[in-house]
Amino acid sequence: MINFVNISKTFTVKRQKIKALQHVSLQISDGDIFGVIGFSGAGKSTLLRMVNALEIPTEGRMEVDGRDINALDFSELRKVRKKIGMIFQEFNLLESKSVYDNVAIPLILNHVDKKLIQKRVTELLSFVELSDKALAYPSQLSGGQKQRIGIARALANNPSILLCDEATSALDPETTESILQLLKRINKKLNITILIVTHEIHVIQSICNRVAVMEHGSVVETGTVLEVFSNPQQNMTKRFVQTVIPDEIPPSIVETLHDDVRNYRLLKIRFLGNNAKRNIVYYINTHYKVETNILFASVNELQQTVLGIFIVQVIGDDSEINQVISYIERNKIQWQEVVL
Amino acid sequence: MIELGVPNSRLILAAEQTIYMVFVSLGIGTLIAVLLSVVLVLTNPGGILKNKYIYVVVNTVVNVIRSIPFIILMVFILPLTKMIVGTRIGTTAALVPLVVFIAPYLTRLFENSILEVNKGIIEAAQAMGASYFEIVRYFLLPEARGSLILSVTTGTIGLIGATAMAGAIGAGGVGDLALTYGYERLNFPLMLFTVVILIVFVQSIQTVGNYFSTKVRKH
Repeated sequence: MINFVNISKTFTVKRQKIKALQHVSLQISDGDIFGVIGFSGAGKSTLLRMVNALEIPTEGRMEVDGRDINALDFSELRKVRKKIGMIFQEFNLLESKSVYDNVAIPLILNHVDKKLIQKRVTELLSFVELSDKALAYPSQLSGGQKQRIGIARALANNPSILLCDEATSALDPETTESILQLLKRINKKLNITILIVTHEIHVIQSICNRVAVMEHGSVVETGTVLEVFSNPQQNMTKRFVQTVIPDEIPPSIVETLHDDVRNYRLLKIRFLGNNAKRNIVYYINTHYKVETNILFASVNELQQTVLGIFIVQVIGDDSEINQVISYIERNKIQWQEVVL
Repeated sequence: MIELGVPNSRLILAAEQTIYMVFVSLGIGTLIAVLLSVVLVLTNPGGILKNKYIYVVVNTVVNVIRSIPFIILMVFILPLTKMIVGTRIGTTAALVPLVVFIAPYLTRLFENSILEVNKGIIEAAQAMGASYFEIVRYFLLPEARGSLILSVTTGTIGLIGATAMAGAIGAGGVGDLALTYGYERLNFPLMLFTVVILIVFVQSIQTVGNYFSTKVRKH
C-alpha cells in the first residue's frame, strides 16, 4: 500500500518558487498497476520519486506499507529502498559493466552470497528472456533489451513495489508493447505493485487498472481506468482519452449534416460491458417511428470490459425522438446530445 | 654508438631517479586526488552530499596550490619537506613537492571525469539503497574509469616535466642530467639524447594510457 497524504513539493530555483506538487493525495493498493498520466512538467516524476524518498515533500506525509518513509533514518531507508525496484526512461545501466554485473549489483549491495548471486542473475535473465546476453555490454543492446535488463536489475532483491519512470517513452511502439506485457506478467506472476508515470495514454489503456491524471502539480481526476476512460470529466482527461478512444463525428460527415434539412437530433451513446451486447439500435428502429443513422462508432476493450461509443442521428418528430431518449434512459445507458 | 661523454652508469642512475620520482609521487598523488575529487563531486552544489563549507575549502586549496609554479612551490615548501622526510635535498626529498604539485592537478582532472558520469546512474544507485561509499565504489568510479585513466596519463606526463626541475634541490633525474651535463658542459649529443629519451617516454605513456582507456570504454 502506497499512500500519498496531502503531498506538496516546492522547488526554489533562482529565488523563484516552483510548485511541483500541490496537495496530492492518492492511494495505491497492493497488486495495482497504477498509472499517472500528464504532460511533461505536470509533476509526475517528482510524485514517483516521493515513494523511495529520492524527493522529500515540503508538506504532507509519504507512507509505504504504513510507514512514514521520511521519518526513517538513512540505514532504515536504504533497507526500504532495496524492496522498491525502479526503472527509468534512459535505463541508467552501468556502461562499464556487463549485463550480468549490472543485474548483480543490487545483490552485491545487499551482501548476497556469490553462488546465490549467480543463481539469481541467471533466473532473472531468463525471466526477461535475455539469458544469451549475460556477457554483453549495455552499448551492444537495443533500447528494449536495455529496459529488460533494467527490469531484471530492479527485480533482483524481490521488491514488493516497482516504480516506472516513463519506462517506455524512449522505445518504439512494438518494443513498448513487449515491455508492457512483461510488466503485466511481473504484476500477475510476482504479485508486485506497479506505479507507472507516463505521458502515453495507451500505456495506461493497455496495462493499468487505476489511473490518476495530473496537471500543474495537482491530480485533476482519478479512478479505475474503466471509469475514467468511459466517462472522462476534465478537459485534460478528455484530450488524452480521445487520442486512443475517439468519440467525435469525422469532419466530412459533419459537413453533410449541415445540408440535412430533416428534423433530427444527434445522440452520443456509450455502452459498457454487458450493455454492449444488447441490440438497442434495432429496438429503436422497430419500436419508434424514427429513422436512425450511425455516424460514428468505436468499440474498445479496457480491463477486459467492452466500451462502445456510437453517435446516432435520430430522424423523426420531436415527440418520437423524446420517446427514444426516455427509452435509452430507462435502460440506464449513458448518453449525451452532440451539438455541432 | 655515439660518445655521450658520461658513463653509462650515470645515464641509468638518472633514468632510475626519474622513474622513481614519477611513479612514487604519481601513486601517492593519485590516492590523494581520488579522495579529494570524490569529496568535491559529492559536496558540490548539485552533489548528493551538498556541503558549501567543505566544497569551498577543498576547492580553494586546490586552486591555490595550482596557481604556484612548480619551481617556486618546491622551494616554498622546503620546511614541510624537511619535516616529512628529514632532509631538504635529494631524490626522496623531491617526492614531497611533486606530490603537493600533482595531487591538486589530478584532483581537478578526476573531478571532471567523475562529473561526466550520467546523473541518472547516481539516481539508480540511490534507488537501489546504496550507501554514499557504495555509490562511489560501485557506480561513480567504475563508470568514470576510462576517463580517469586518461587523466592519470595526462598527470604522469605533467610529472615528467616537473621532475626536470627537481634537479634544483639535488634530486637528479634525466632533466638534471640534460641541464648539468648537456647545457652547462655544452654537450649537445647528450642533450639531444635526453630529449629523444623523454619524447619516447612520453609517447609510450600516452599510448599505454590511450590503450587502456579505450579498452575499458569500448564494449
